[in-house]
Amino acid sequence: MAKIIIDGQTIETREGVPVLRAALEGGFDVPHYCYHPGLSIVASCRLCLMEMKMPNPKTQELVWSPKLVPSCQTPVRDGLECRFNTDTVRNNQAHCMEYFLLNHPLDCPVCDQAGECWLQDYSYKFGNPESRMVDQKLKNPKKDIGPKTLLYQDRCVMCSRCVRFTDEISGTHELAIINRGSRSEIDVFPGMPLDNALQGNVVDICPVGSLLDKDFLFKRRVWELRGSDSVCPHCATGCSIRIDHADNRVYRLKPRYNPKVNQWWMCDYGRFGYKHVHDKDRITAPKVRRGFETTTPNWEDLPEILRFRFEEHARERGAEKIAVVLSPFLACEEAWLLLRFVRELAPACALVAGPIPHEGSDEQFPVGANGSAVKFTILKEKCPNRRGIELLLSNAGGSQLAFADFVTCAANGDFTGAWITGGYPKPWIEKELTKAAEKIEFLVLQDFHDSELAASATIVLPACAWAEREGSFMNAAGVIQPFDWATNPPEGARRDGQYLYEIAGLSGLYNAERVREMMSESIPEFQTVYAAPAEPVHAH
Amino acid sequence: VVNNVETLSCVPHIIERGAEWFTAIGPPHSTGPKLFCISGPVKQPGCYEDAMTITVRDLIERPDMGGGMLSGKKVKGVLPGGASMGILTADELNMKMDFEDPRKFGLLGLGTAAAVVIDQDTDMRVVLRNMARFYGTESCGQCTQCREGTAWMHKIATRIAAGAGRPQDLDLLLETSRNMGMMPGLSICGLPDGATYPIETIVKKFRGELEAAIRAQPPGRSLEVLTAMN
Repeated sequence: MAKIIIDGQTIETREGVPVLRAALEGGFDVPHYCYHPGLSIVASCRLCLMEMKMPNPKTQELVWSPKLVPSCQTPVRDGLECRFNTDTVRNNQAHCMEYFLLNHPLDCPVCDQAGECWLQDYSYKFGNPESRMVDQKLKNPKKDIGPKTLLYQDRCVMCSRCVRFTDEISGTHELAIINRGSRSEIDVFPGMPLDNALQGNVVDICPVGSLLDKDFLFKRRVWELRGSDSVCPHCATGCSIRIDHADNRVYRLKPRYNPKVNQWWMCDYGRFGYKHVHDKDRITAPKVRRGFETTTPNWEDLPEILRFRFEEHARERGAEKIAVVLSPFLACEEAWLLLRFVRELAPACALVAGPIPHEGSDEQFPVGANGSAVKFTILKEKCPNRRGIELLLSNAGGSQLAFADFVTCAANGDFTGAWITGGYPKPWIEKELTKAAEKIEFLVLQDFHDSELAASATIVLPACAWAEREGSFMNAAGVIQPFDWATNPPEGARRDGQYLYEIAGLSGLYNAERVREMMSESIPEFQTVYAAPAEPVHAH
Repeated sequence: VVNNVETLSCVPHIIERGAEWFTAIGPPHSTGPKLFCISGPVKQPGCYEDAMTITVRDLIERPDMGGGMLSGKKVKGVLPGGASMGILTADELNMKMDFEDPRKFGLLGLGTAAAVVIDQDTDMRVVLRNMARFYGTESCGQCTQCREGTAWMHKIATRIAAGAGRPQDLDLLLETSRNMGMMPGLSICGLPDGATYPIETIVKKFRGELEAAIRAQPPGRSLEVLTAMN
């Protein structure tokens, strides 16, 4: 711990962090572009300059230094005193803001960044209302630098964050600064576009509208978006993300800072992996089949129907003839509610962990790094909650078997009833399962996409996308992280948590936190979940 | 550390003849021999060695040095230490070419001691533009103030030289040059300090001429030139 004085206020901070970081954490709005906590420090934007007390070389007495010093490059030492609220500092900030805008096109009305642009915010807060330049602006080109990203060079403030990102985090080195002086440009090398699995982060760390995401380009003004804190379900890493949505539609995913998991970054698979939420062939309503007749029951009647038919089957055929498959896409709470339900009505049923989708191999960044040099990992395990399901199963006890064995047994006719949960973002049901399921008379399928299996199931329940649900996932490292719902389920559907809550015999609205309280009575791991701390409001 | 040839070539002499011999040359605050260069409209442009006791006038006039002005023209100004140190007027030619005197004349220092002479026929607006162009192209582009400031000063100076100056441009140049550089702590390297001294000293010392040139622009001419340039 160290105490420093900023603008006369004493704040407690950590020895060795940049003064800029300490100031931001202390709630001071210090303008900055080139500084990013996850990247090396270059001190080139010269916007965060401060006045600092230094020893007078002759008398060793601490006096205000006549020179400004970059707060990003000055490490915190106990007793350091600095100030930002002086004319000299403000004068430099005002001049810098005027300079940044000299060649900037002021095309905010058509710029995607408008509304979340640090050039807008800082100009408003620290700059002058008008430019004094009457000469022609330098017109820099717009460049297509990669399959997913556009570079509007005329909007660039040359903070070099993107270049440092590709050097230090992705390790792919696609970006560089070419030319010099005011003609400096960010560019890619000929024939080597910006194309790596982490490239979307350069758009996030670009403080202005220079690097833009083609996926989001011109789709929506950012001030119409609402953000919900969530966890990426794409792989078992479980990055903290924010779902930006409007009018019940997901528009983009952005990473949130999480010191335990993803730092400030997320991968492109996750970033663009929300498209299934709006798939047309989703299951959107419950269906109940009796003989050849299929009906869509009211949600209010459904718990009764499910309890009755499940219990009936268990009584008539024996509970050991029933299997329950828990998908690694279920939230811990949902899986626990389902377990509570089946353990009550059919205590002897078999429990099965759903299949774990794998794709390729683990990818580590920076490319070529290993050991402690690894800054980001994309796992081949493409599901968010394998460990959560395993934890719940290990606490549930009873008869359990692997998914492959379940399929074999079902094909042999060992099971007459089953509740299969899916919810995979991609079609996942293999022919063997569809074939084996023919032997299952009473099949409850809770799934996301319509399928052949859904057509033959006795009861079909719509599984909602993770963006529509709340709960918690346990990632590959064992961190249990809560996530919030962002959008509403499509018309006709209901959140999995809600109907599982009701069939588990609980009344009222499903609330993940309350369910976790109940869970923690028997499973202590759920007493506390890890929610990533928010970054300081003025940091970016 | 990168040393220049002039520094290193002193070393053998100091070793052979001793430090006392070296410090006996020149005044106490600027000891040792020094290479002085002179270019521009003088009779004998070149590189000359002497102690740091000579004045700018010596460098221009002495028969074993510059040898006087070509065609008997008058000196209008001299950049005594290379472009970065700033400019002297014709009245300031008694400045000593040593490590201390230049500061008394508002210059950054002795610099390279490579003097550039400007004669009476040269338009100071053109000198201003030339200085601004050089630093505008030389800035590496890291620090904001230097990257944008030097290019802006070049644009302003180009416009003034083209005959579309505005009275406020001179103050703008001064303001811009005061807001960059390593000395106030605003940039990483010293290039912007060197960029501002010629601009600042030209504007300050030749303000009368520049203002007169701007006043002499026909009414409406500024707008015409500005429109054509943009």
